[in-house]
Amino acid sequence: MHSEARPPLALTLGAVLGLLFLHLPILLIFLYAFTTEDRSYQFPPPDLTTKWFGVAWNRADIWPPLYLSLRVAAISSGLALVLGTLCAAAMARARFFGRDTISLLVVLPIALPGIITGMSLRSAFAIADIPFSTWTIVLGHATFCVVIVYNNAVARFRRLGASMLEASADLGANSFQTFRHVILPNLGSALLAGGMLAFALSFDEVIVTTFTAGQQSTLPIWMLNELVRPRQRPVTNVVAIVVFSATFLPILAAYYLTRSGEETAGGGK
Amino acid sequence: MTAAVEFHNVSRHFGTVRAVDRVDLAIDEGSFFAMLGPSGSGKTTCLRLISGFEKPTTGSIRIFGEDMGDVPPNRRHVNTVFQDYALFPHMNVRDNVAYGLMVKGVERRTRHERAEELLSLVKLDGFGERKPAQLSGGQRQRVALARALVNEPRVLLLDEPLGALDLKLREAMQDELKALQRRLGITFVFVTHDQGEALSMADRVAVFNDGRIAQVGTPSDVYDRPATRFVADFVGSSNVLPPDLTRSFGGPRLWASLRPESIRFTGASDPKAKGRVTALRYLGSGTRVALETGGQEIAVLVPAGAPVPDIGEVSGLTWDPAALHLMEDA
Amino acid sequence: MDSAHPSRGVADRLTGVFWSRPKLLTALLIAPPLLWLGVVYVGSLAALLLQSFYSIDEFSGVVVPEFTLKTYAELLRPSNFDVIVRTVTMAAAVTLASVAVAFPIAFFAARYARGRWKALFYLGVMLPLWSSYLVKVYAWKLILAKEGIVTWAAEGIGAGNVLGAVLAIPVIGGNSLSTSYIGTFLVFVYVWLPYMILPMQAALERVPGSLLEASADLGAGGWRTFRSVILPLALPGIIAGSIFTFSLTLGDYIIPQIIGSSRFFIGQAVYSLQGTAGNIPLAAAFAVVPIVIMLIYLAVARKMGAFDAL
Repeated sequence: MHSEARPPLALTLGAVLGLLFLHLPILLIFLYAFTTEDRSYQFPPPDLTTKWFGVAWNRADIWPPLYLSLRVAAISSGLALVLGTLCAAAMARARFFGRDTISLLVVLPIALPGIITGMSLRSAFAIADIPFSTWTIVLGHATFCVVIVYNNAVARFRRLGASMLEASADLGANSFQTFRHVILPNLGSALLAGGMLAFALSFDEVIVTTFTAGQQSTLPIWMLNELVRPRQRPVTNVVAIVVFSATFLPILAAYYLTRSGEETAGGGK
Repeated sequence: MTAAVEFHNVSRHFGTVRAVDRVDLAIDEGSFFAMLGPSGSGKTTCLRLISGFEKPTTGSIRIFGEDMGDVPPNRRHVNTVFQDYALFPHMNVRDNVAYGLMVKGVERRTRHERAEELLSLVKLDGFGERKPAQLSGGQRQRVALARALVNEPRVLLLDEPLGALDLKLREAMQDELKALQRRLGITFVFVTHDQGEALSMADRVAVFNDGRIAQVGTPSDVYDRPATRFVADFVGSSNVLPPDLTRSFGGPRLWASLRPESIRFTGASDPKAKGRVTALRYLGSGTRVALETGGQEIAVLVPAGAPVPDIGEVSGLTWDPAALHLMEDA
Repeated sequence: MDSAHPSRGVADRLTGVFWSRPKLLTALLIAPPLLWLGVVYVGSLAALLLQSFYSIDEFSGVVVPEFTLKTYAELLRPSNFDVIVRTVTMAAAVTLASVAVAFPIAFFAARYARGRWKALFYLGVMLPLWSSYLVKVYAWKLILAKEGIVTWAAEGIGAGNVLGAVLAIPVIGGNSLSTSYIGTFLVFVYVWLPYMILPMQAALERVPGSLLEASADLGAGGWRTFRSVILPLALPGIIAGSIFTFSLTLGDYIIPQIIGSSRFFIGQAVYSLQGTAGNIPLAAAFAVVPIVIMLIYLAVARKMGAFDAL
């Protein structure tokens, strides 16, 4: 641990092995999508085939969960965008009583294990006699997505500074013009990044969802059922690749959108 | 004639802090007015009270005779050059300058033409397409100036406008701002903590201390005839004499100021005072001699060419009786 | 001459109102998110607490909405209490292992990685953090399966009997890695590792390099510098990370369900009690356990000064 620029060999080795540990397992998902063996996880695969992509495409039980997941993710990230931005705007405006309580309240749904959020909602639905629907799923997802948008927006608001908004008012803009011409363009990329991360988070969520979905099936719930009771295992891999891409690509995009700022998207998950 | 800006017994409190404390002030139309004071003295808050970013806790502010109690910043005929310039990073220079016209609904061609005129006024012809990030500090400042002038304000507020510039640029901008103000004939109100800047640019100066105005007057008023100890201390480099020393110097038992350049060495047998030389500082245009007298240090400015005493020497001092300027103890 | 522009309509009038009552605008902005979180989230938490004080009628299976501590008392029954002990033990083991694996990565990224490498490390941690949880768990199902890559590799290098010996260890062993506690443990560490790396790296980045040099200059060896300088300075990050790894392990039920023995963790107990068993009060009481454990954990961490440097 001396000041030389070259790290000790053991440290480099530990860091590289650690990163490989984080990344290599995912590759197997891709490999197993091409195996000809569909009754076990035999390694190495006896032979390779691309037929499972076609099989997956024609499996009627995959499409409704996919649609439901897309719908829930779209509505939830939309709601989270509105709520998270409003919250960040209020917090950026003033130091007011209860600020710390509110920031705790925003973080809590993601800081506490999903099972607590899920079981809480389940208890509330039971007490209030609310039947399961798309909206019960959305209720949970939007709640834990707010913090993602909030974290992205609040960092950008901080960078925007008060004087920019004052300058706009000073030059004759009313509050709405300031929002449209100054706040929105400067917040845009942060909101887009936050929205995409929220989408990814919602699309992939399974723990809270199992408590709020009832008999409905989102794509992750479909996958979970396949994991517990497998049939045509490579098809599950094909779906896993789809789910992986649907979360991976927004994250990468969000990273590039906010890279220039000191606060990079994603630190808050 | 009504004043451009009037403060009537204005206070602004932040919690228990009195940032501005019972200020009365009148700024004449067409003048170049400086608000001078150390940080935390209330000068910036006063500027923000004029622009409307702060509201008085008590008292009222009038602009050209009209009470501003119900007028938000966007409707005031006042514009501001911000200390950090506050240029919009997502717009190019032309759109920044034209912003005030855009929100008024002026059509694109007209506002672009007007923006180009103003860029030319601040000597930035051809910079319209650039983004603020591509400009130097001095250029950004000019853009901020052009942007604030686009709405033809009747009062232009400048918050430490030269603070972020280096010394050479700052001196050039001082002359330019002064010339611009004469040419446009509008009222400039600027905030600074730099006494040299205030004295060289302003027609009138208000010296702030602890949320109150210690003195308002022409630069020579505050420099030559400081009303209080604080003003004498803060503006320039005068000797501030405690009451006992003033009395031993032949005045009444009051605080007084005595400018270093008003004191001369004398060989006369009964000088007004005697002091032992403790330090010499060569300034080019003269030498600043520090002496110890009556347990107090005072400074004497000897012009270039005149004889300078040695360290440790005891010298007689004299001055014109009118140079001893009496002040309030505040 | 005028000294103010005329008001041009509703937008201008509202701007004037917001200006004269700045708190009104703040209140309008905060109201929707506050209402949402207050009603949906806090309301649900309250419902959870409420349910946990109800009980279930043992004969009819119907929830009796009357205040009782009976349900909490049931948690202390050996079969239920075992679940809690098992989960907390696992959470502690996972946290310790995460610290050990995360440290080299965090230290390397904070002290040695520059420019391109820094970005690569950042993405290298961020992508696994965000990528699909279920896909990650699934990947390990493939790895740890009896006929999977680990068995294949172990036999390939002639270490099949070593694997067999490991699996033969009582309690933590099992029929295959994917049905043993070892497997559960590995997957937990894998899935929560990024949550440990990021705060740890942030804490290490705040340690000035000069401090390490000073320690080395004073003659402290690598291990001593590590123990008496780096570790204390990294501690706030470790604690922050451990809050994540600990709490996430406490509340997870997917991983032990897919990879592990058939014995329950808290999360599985909650899930099955609210679902097939229909005992919502006991499920709620079980869900309160991680909250209480985390509150104790946070209180201890705060007492140790873990938040001072955050």
